[in-house]
Amino acid sequence: MNRVVVTGLGIVSSLALDREGTWSAMLAGRDGLGPLTRLDLPAEPAQIAGQVPLQPLRHQTLCERMALLALEEALDGFRPGGDPARIGIFQGAGTSGLPVAEAYLNDRLAGRRGHAAEPAYQGPCTATDALARRVGAEGPRGTIMNACSSSLLAMGVAWERLAAGELDLAVSGGAEGLCRTTYAGFSSLKAVDPHKCRPFSRDRAGLNLGEGAVQLLLEPLDLALARGAAIYGEVLGYGASMDAHHPTAPHPGGEGAARAMAMALRTGRMEPAQVDLVSAHGTATPANDGAECLAIRRALGGAANTVSVTSTKSQFGHTLGAAGAMGAAAALLALRDQVVSPTLRLEDPDPVCDLDCTPLAAKQRRIRAALVNAFAFGGNNVSLLLARWGGA
Amino acid sequence: MTLPADLVITGQGLVLPCGDGVEAARASLASRTPCFAELPETLGHGRGAACTAFDPTGIIPPMQLRRLDRASRFAWVAAHQAFRDAGLDPKAGTWGGGERIAVAVGTMSGGSEASEAFMRPYLLRGPEGASPLLFPNTVANAASGHLALAFGLKGPSATFVDRENAAFTALDQAARWLRAGLVDAALVLGTDGLFPLLMDVCGGARLLDRHGNPDVGSGRGFLPGEGAQAFLLETSSHAEARGARSRATLHTLADRSAPDTGREGRARALAQAAALALDGRCPTRWIGGGNGLARMDTQEARLAAAHPDWPAPHFPKALWGEFGGSGGQLLAAALLEPSDLTLVTAPASSGAQFAALLEGVRLESL
Repeated sequence: MNRVVVTGLGIVSSLALDREGTWSAMLAGRDGLGPLTRLDLPAEPAQIAGQVPLQPLRHQTLCERMALLALEEALDGFRPGGDPARIGIFQGAGTSGLPVAEAYLNDRLAGRRGHAAEPAYQGPCTATDALARRVGAEGPRGTIMNACSSSLLAMGVAWERLAAGELDLAVSGGAEGLCRTTYAGFSSLKAVDPHKCRPFSRDRAGLNLGEGAVQLLLEPLDLALARGAAIYGEVLGYGASMDAHHPTAPHPGGEGAARAMAMALRTGRMEPAQVDLVSAHGTATPANDGAECLAIRRALGGAANTVSVTSTKSQFGHTLGAAGAMGAAAALLALRDQVVSPTLRLEDPDPVCDLDCTPLAAKQRRIRAALVNAFAFGGNNVSLLLARWGGA
Repeated sequence: MTLPADLVITGQGLVLPCGDGVEAARASLASRTPCFAELPETLGHGRGAACTAFDPTGIIPPMQLRRLDRASRFAWVAAHQAFRDAGLDPKAGTWGGGERIAVAVGTMSGGSEASEAFMRPYLLRGPEGASPLLFPNTVANAASGHLALAFGLKGPSATFVDRENAAFTALDQAARWLRAGLVDAALVLGTDGLFPLLMDVCGGARLLDRHGNPDVGSGRGFLPGEGAQAFLLETSSHAEARGARSRATLHTLADRSAPDTGREGRARALAQAAALALDGRCPTRWIGGGNGLARMDTQEARLAAAHPDWPAPHFPKALWGEFGGSGGQLLAAALLEPSDLTLVTAPASSGAQFAALLEGVRLESL
């Protein structure tokens, strides 16, 4: 199997439209949550979200725009060459073109003709195709819609192809914009906190929704070294599982999530004691955070006592299809800089979440490897294993 | 991608507009009778291929049935048939409590039917119109979650979304999990349900044939369909060890894409995928994904012109409709007639173009 490294990382977030701006704000303890302005939903009790200061363009959804912006940063001037059939694009999507469909439906309900071509041609795979055009990719393409674990699974799938020696380059990530269906949907489940969310807290009351995009460039190590690429970290493997427990709620003991983490460790041939960071799903819903902490204990055993855990939901809200990619980006930067970004507003930890969840302030520490978690409706669990790149 | 010849399909389950099950599909394919008719109002305005004879009685418990969108209902019944056809009880202890079975789904519209059902009352009445029961089905992977619950499946799961051939991306992923030894069996599905907004959008975008049944090569457009196709995939050694009979060997699966989505690039990509899949061999049967839309049909027309020695392609989407399984219909049709080497080409108006080569297609089942 080929070793696979991350050689490009682009972030578009509610904190900043670039990687370093986002990361420095995270370490400084800032969040991107604010009053909801993207959507006009005055009757919704929660009026808060993590919004990216960009607008969709006439023939470009917000997701596509953010994805392309993140890709430009990830490329950082690199112009992929070689065999275009050995370049693959693997994207995770949550809602993607749904705002366009919502607008069309709204027009139709109001008796207007609407522009049917827009929902017809702006689907979930549109951003994937746009990214492929940008890098001239003629290899495999996949648009994964596993709800909130989509983009993390996309990264795992990309790693699989590169490790097998089938590709020379993969672009993988996800993008998510706010839309009425998800906002109203999570609200109808009473899962949205009207205040800023508080992952792992005793009084956590639900999630905030957010926007953002992350794109990674993944390459075989030998090619990355040959072209002198900057290396953010190494991808060692991933794990995926289903709970078979409930359509929306996680297994209360974290059984399926623990299996995904254990599978990632097995694939990456790593011992739990070598893992120093878990970039958690950490949605701040009452059901998720406790179950996830139990899952971390199940998967890591005694090593859970020394691992640092953090949730990017406290900075960005839940970016759904892009959430796993956001967590992976935070883990890669943590591995690079040997510092864990904080879980904001964690002043009163839930006793069930009895791990070091990095409350309030960033923490400098040795980080050799990190697990990134993303869980989804349908009891769908994904865990990605990353390692620090210390040189060849 | 080129697979070693060690993956076999041991089970098939079909929910199609022509009826449920393999025999109904075989009869439909043999008669070449299209399944299109005026749709009931609940599914939209216009003509399409609806699964009007679909009957989940005795398979999906009534309490669960109420909670499922159409795509998930179809998927459940197709999966039930596929497991039965393969002689495999997923809840038996030998399958690690379901941990050794993966699910890979391809869909064009998964979650969209529920999204429309959820949003219509919300847009009209505000938050009081929002149903928390409908919302979980608005995700594209709703079907895989329901299947996990129904059959106790706990292995990896992925749902791929694309316009016309997402089931092939799902097949590819399932093959990888099997090759990596992460699972012993993988359930591969294509599933889609019709809903009013889909008909409205496709009609408004002038994608639909307004003159009758779709005719591949006419360029008049397609007609939508619905349904699910499930395939149980295993390594040949695993199938042999448990005494399962193979319906076919998945000899190769290849994909290529074009940077732009224009016809030229996609036609070239499909030709490359077919060449990779065949590796110099001549197919004895050819199933194509043409649907009546010029930009889809052109790709296979060029392939046929370049290979006059190949058999004439069959186009199941001209019988059962587009989207109704996102390419799963093509695999289903490939397994319905015996053949030494069946080529399946699965063009798409976006994403990757796929070609698969099935070897030794047999009709016997357990």
